[in-house]
Amino acid sequence: MSCLIVQSDKTLLLEIDHPMAADCRRAIAPFAELERAPEHVHTYRVTPLGLWNARAAGHDAEQVVDALVTYSRYPVPHALLVDVADTMARYGRLQLLKHPTHGLVLTTTDRPVLEEVLKSKKIAPLVGARVEPDTVVVHPSERGQIKQVLLKLGWPAEDHAGYVDGEAHPIHLEEDGWQLRPYQKHAVEGFWHGGSGVVVLPCGAGKTLVGAAAMAEAKSTTLILVTNTVSARQWKHELVKRTSLTEDEIGEYSGTRKEIRPVTIATYQVMTTKRKGVYSHLELFDARNWGLVVYDEVHLLPAPVFKFTADLQARRRLGLTATLVREDGREGDVFSLIGPKRFDAPWKEIEAQGYIAPADCCEVRVTLSDSERLAYATAEPEERYRFCSTTVTKRRVVEALVKKHQGDQTLIIGQYIDQLDELGEVLGAPVIKGETSNLQREKLFDAFRSKEINVLVVSKVANFSIDLPEATVAIQVSGTFGSRQEEAQRLGRVLRPKADGHAAHFYSVVARDTVDQDFAAHRQRFLAEQGYAYRIIDADDV
Amino acid sequence: MTTEPNGRPGRSRARTLADELRAGTDQELATLLRLRPDLLNPVPGDLTQLVARLSSRASALRALERLDAFTLQVAEALAAAPDGTPSTVLRDLLAGPARGVKPHPGAEPVDRSAVLAALPGALAALRERALVWGPDSALRLVIAVREALAPTATAPDGTGLGPTLSEATLGMSPARLQELVHGAGLPGTPDPVTAVAALTELLTDRERCAALLAGAPPAALGVLEKLVWGPPTGTVPDATRPVTAEQARSPIEWLLARGLLLPSGPGTVVLPRELALHLRGGRSHRLVEPGPPPLVPGAERDPQAVDNAAAGQAHTAVQTVEELLELWGLQPPPVLRAGGLGVRDLKRTATALDRTEPETAFWLEIAYGAGLLAPDGEAGEVWAPTPAYDQWLQQPTAERWTALVGSWLAATRVAGLVGSVDGKGKARPALGPDLDRVLAPTTRRAVLSLLATLPPGGTADADALLPVLRWHRPLRGGATGPDGRDLRTRLTGFTLTEAELLGVTGRGALGSAGRALLAGRDPVPVLTPLLPEPLDQVILQPDLTAIAPGPLLTPLAHALALCADVESKGGATVYRFSPDSVRRALDAGRTAAELHGFLAQHSRTAVPQPLAYLIDDVARRHGVLRVGAASAYLRCDDPALLSEVLADRRAAELRLRLLAPTVLAAQALPDTVLSVLRAMGYAPAAESAEGDLLITRPDAHRTPPRTPPVPVADGPAAPDEVLLGAAVKAIRAGDHAATAQRRQAVPGPAAARQLPRTAAADTLAALQTAVLLGERMWIGYVNAEGLATQRVIDPVKVEGGFVTAFDHHAEKVTTFALHRITGVAELAGD
Repeated sequence: MSCLIVQSDKTLLLEIDHPMAADCRRAIAPFAELERAPEHVHTYRVTPLGLWNARAAGHDAEQVVDALVTYSRYPVPHALLVDVADTMARYGRLQLLKHPTHGLVLTTTDRPVLEEVLKSKKIAPLVGARVEPDTVVVHPSERGQIKQVLLKLGWPAEDHAGYVDGEAHPIHLEEDGWQLRPYQKHAVEGFWHGGSGVVVLPCGAGKTLVGAAAMAEAKSTTLILVTNTVSARQWKHELVKRTSLTEDEIGEYSGTRKEIRPVTIATYQVMTTKRKGVYSHLELFDARNWGLVVYDEVHLLPAPVFKFTADLQARRRLGLTATLVREDGREGDVFSLIGPKRFDAPWKEIEAQGYIAPADCCEVRVTLSDSERLAYATAEPEERYRFCSTTVTKRRVVEALVKKHQGDQTLIIGQYIDQLDELGEVLGAPVIKGETSNLQREKLFDAFRSKEINVLVVSKVANFSIDLPEATVAIQVSGTFGSRQEEAQRLGRVLRPKADGHAAHFYSVVARDTVDQDFAAHRQRFLAEQGYAYRIIDADDV
Repeated sequence: MTTEPNGRPGRSRARTLADELRAGTDQELATLLRLRPDLLNPVPGDLTQLVARLSSRASALRALERLDAFTLQVAEALAAAPDGTPSTVLRDLLAGPARGVKPHPGAEPVDRSAVLAALPGALAALRERALVWGPDSALRLVIAVREALAPTATAPDGTGLGPTLSEATLGMSPARLQELVHGAGLPGTPDPVTAVAALTELLTDRERCAALLAGAPPAALGVLEKLVWGPPTGTVPDATRPVTAEQARSPIEWLLARGLLLPSGPGTVVLPRELALHLRGGRSHRLVEPGPPPLVPGAERDPQAVDNAAAGQAHTAVQTVEELLELWGLQPPPVLRAGGLGVRDLKRTATALDRTEPETAFWLEIAYGAGLLAPDGEAGEVWAPTPAYDQWLQQPTAERWTALVGSWLAATRVAGLVGSVDGKGKARPALGPDLDRVLAPTTRRAVLSLLATLPPGGTADADALLPVLRWHRPLRGGATGPDGRDLRTRLTGFTLTEAELLGVTGRGALGSAGRALLAGRDPVPVLTPLLPEPLDQVILQPDLTAIAPGPLLTPLAHALALCADVESKGGATVYRFSPDSVRRALDAGRTAAELHGFLAQHSRTAVPQPLAYLIDDVARRHGVLRVGAASAYLRCDDPALLSEVLADRRAAELRLRLLAPTVLAAQALPDTVLSVLRAMGYAPAAESAEGDLLITRPDAHRTPPRTPPVPVADGPAAPDEVLLGAAVKAIRAGDHAATAQRRQAVPGPAAARQLPRTAAADTLAALQTAVLLGERMWIGYVNAEGLATQRVIDPVKVEGGFVTAFDHHAEKVTTFALHRITGVAELAGD
């Protein structure tokens, strides 16, 4: 009896308690995406993207088929094996190469494929003259665009056109009193070997260090794109602390400051700001001869940045994220524009190694009062979620939870400002929201770090990339509907390993029998699929 | 039989086929009847009748269709040769003369020893079927076979030969014939018959013919070369012009003037058979195939892997059929008016099963063929599982599989034709009419039997199989489809695909279960150990899924499917619990405690807390709102008055029930309630009410008992030994009677007041004479009920075993079956 079951819908079920499970995981990880990792049986999915990822990483169909046949408990459907071979054979039929005289060209090893793609209306404007029967010129500026379109056509191109080295700049890690963790080293190696790509690590697993280590490998000027200003400051802080870079070598390019230095950290927001209908900050990409572009939180990459990224195909690109799940389903664009997934590790595995804190996830169900139920039943559909997630009954539960964890660093996270203000008032805790100035924010965060204040109420501005090392309790009172990646980010707030090694607590306060509960179910499914066993308790039991 | 050059002693003396059969053994007769079962329908009265029937064109063609390529070539060669050809000549026709003659460069080389080895067997096969008779020194073809196979100008056959010189010169003027004789350089002859004989003799004389051709212009030889291997006809302008050797200008004219090409129509010429044979070096066929072409095996697979793959697919097949019928049991799709299933329903089913439409059609046909699915026969007819399905469900997987595959092997319905376009340009629906092909079961068996000849693990694709299949039954290719492939080619493709789907083959090679089934052994003991063992445990996970890491015991699978939705299928099944699915289980009468117990019992791990919470949470809300049906209601602000009405015995017929202190529900119509209340002395007022609630629980549909569709028989069923024995005995007895008592052939009408009796052959002859002369006849006739009657008839025609005649007794034109006529007599008064 082996440990893997191949399903007809191309999912793979791996029994992880099985003695062969670890070997099997290593064999299937290159081509199958880990979709769910609950307690006993992990689900992987074989997708064309995953198979092409494997091809890009140098695996062939033979290896994939062999892995499936070797570990499968039941006979693998023949059709699936054929499909795997067919899909993988599509990768690399088309290649982007640097031609000595014609510059960037698209060549093929299989002429009918080239004929087929050239017939596509979407490809026609991207290519120039056909210089040889098997070769066609591609405008250098369309390198990303053509890769994107070819992927959509099902003929992903292998990009061998290489990278520009960029402007050299000495950077090295200063490992005094700390070291890169083994998985971080693997991640950097995987990235550097592959040229460009995405590293998937759970929140709190030290993605910033992977970025820093990649910069130390590149030793060139670097552009870092992050989600917001606070996050930008933290990157800067971390880089100064961990690398040979000094404050003066790092520039911040945000709404308030426009510095361009050898290492420049820019926010997505400023990049996507339009003035008179044009993106006025695009020149940043050409401001220096960047040797490396780092994308933080790749799953949040806004659509316009995809467009700019298409023009950056000659530069090395590193994407960092906790999850490749995108609510907008643009995983294919991440693959074609930033690069294939180069490294990932299940959350639980890293937790088991002690690099992230174990978390106790708990859903607290509150029952609405009779009058609230009536009001909820008669509310307009678009107001319903707001109504039930901000209900007064929740306040008492939050108070009880805060009281229960008195003395612990507690974050209260919510979506609706009114609710947060009210909670701040009741609990006597400061509130950080969109209108809070950056200065004020940093001051509060510092106070929270130094344990001057224990409880902090934050809106979704703090969803990402604020490093709050000692937050051990997070209480979520409302969220952006059923967003799974928001759930991942919020859980990440408490996953930084604790000095005393005790577990973190993550509470979701949910109104029973309402849409709040449905959304919560969707979000928690994500937690369960990441291997976090969560409990559901009634408000009365708090 | 092959050791005696002249066959059995009786054969050399036999004057007719009937005589030969009469002299033969009962065993031979039985063999003939077994090989040609259509002759038994009905059992012939005597040998003369039997011979008449087997000499009919339809029966002869049917027998020819079932010959292999070599036997057919032997028959063709015989047909190209004159009647009474000795087997040595036949041998030379097929294999070429032993020596002295150079074979034609266009002929494929022939393995003489193989032909010699195969010939006696082929001749024996033809004799067994009574297609050929007579001693080896003078082989005779049954006339109908000769007519069907003999090459003519209009219908060239497998040999590609044309008509003989004498056939081709029929109707030619004597003068023109003399011109040809002259042109060929022969002395003049007294009449046309001798002229043809002289020409024929010239062409069959190897040396003189060669000498004549030596003088031909090269272009003329080129023309002959084009026609030599057939088709033997060519188009020329004005073929009938009387050209003499002196006038000949063109190569065609040179040939026409010497009778080497003969006109077969105003614009066509034909190469006479004698000349073609001369040019071919005496060979009747370009390619002689004494044995089947070798089967080219494809890739070799590991037999163990093949068995595993096949067993896995066998399991999937059974599961798929079950899933399909469970689905249709709950949502039966309507039967189209013309029969079959609508395209949209097929599409919907395919989506539900996550299969392609052609594959779904195949599973539907499998279920239908196995008698598990049928129209329910009610108004608004729907497709639904039959009671046989419920029995089938109770069986172990291996037996269920055997039932499916058994019916598939024998089925004449071809699922692969679903969606193809019929004669009227409409797509054939699944489960619809017009899907039966008699060729299907034989092709299926032939394909699988060929695969069975390979060593275990050996594969062969359609391209490799088809030449062999074609050799075995060259004439049974079936109709050519719109894609230019004949039915056999398509059926072979279908068979390979379907066998793989059913798990008869695995990765293209025959599995051991399939092998057992083909060999007529029980596949169940072979298949059972290969199938995954059904489990009675699942793994429950905190993300509200349950994973069955293998097939589940059927009751467990059903119970689980009730309280969770299937998310993914394959070797394992993934179920997901959701509020909806749990509510479904509660609706079906399960309680929360039962569900907890059920999960705890079947879970390999502890029941996760969120799942337990989910069940309780759904159960908490389940049934809080109650819905029922009432026909009328009574409401009143005074609870006391309502209690009074409720308590009153006269209101019992209203079947009142207290829903709330001020509301009563009644199971009677408002009108009735009103009149009853009034009769009781109250003064109720009617309220304008909307919407009586009616709730009907959906129930799984079943048809009444149904029998599976009977495969369309490819001709009459093969007779068993008892029938054969009886038939032989009957024929012999009839024959004995007919031949032994040669009574007066046509007795006078005054002979007796009894039925006239004559032998069948005499009856036929007398009736045919009567038709020609327009005479009135007196016949004895046994009607369908066995009642013997006498009739006076004016025969109009005698054809196909029936006499059409004016019956003076019934005063109308009637047909009489010849075999029911006991005898004939002329009427004295005429």
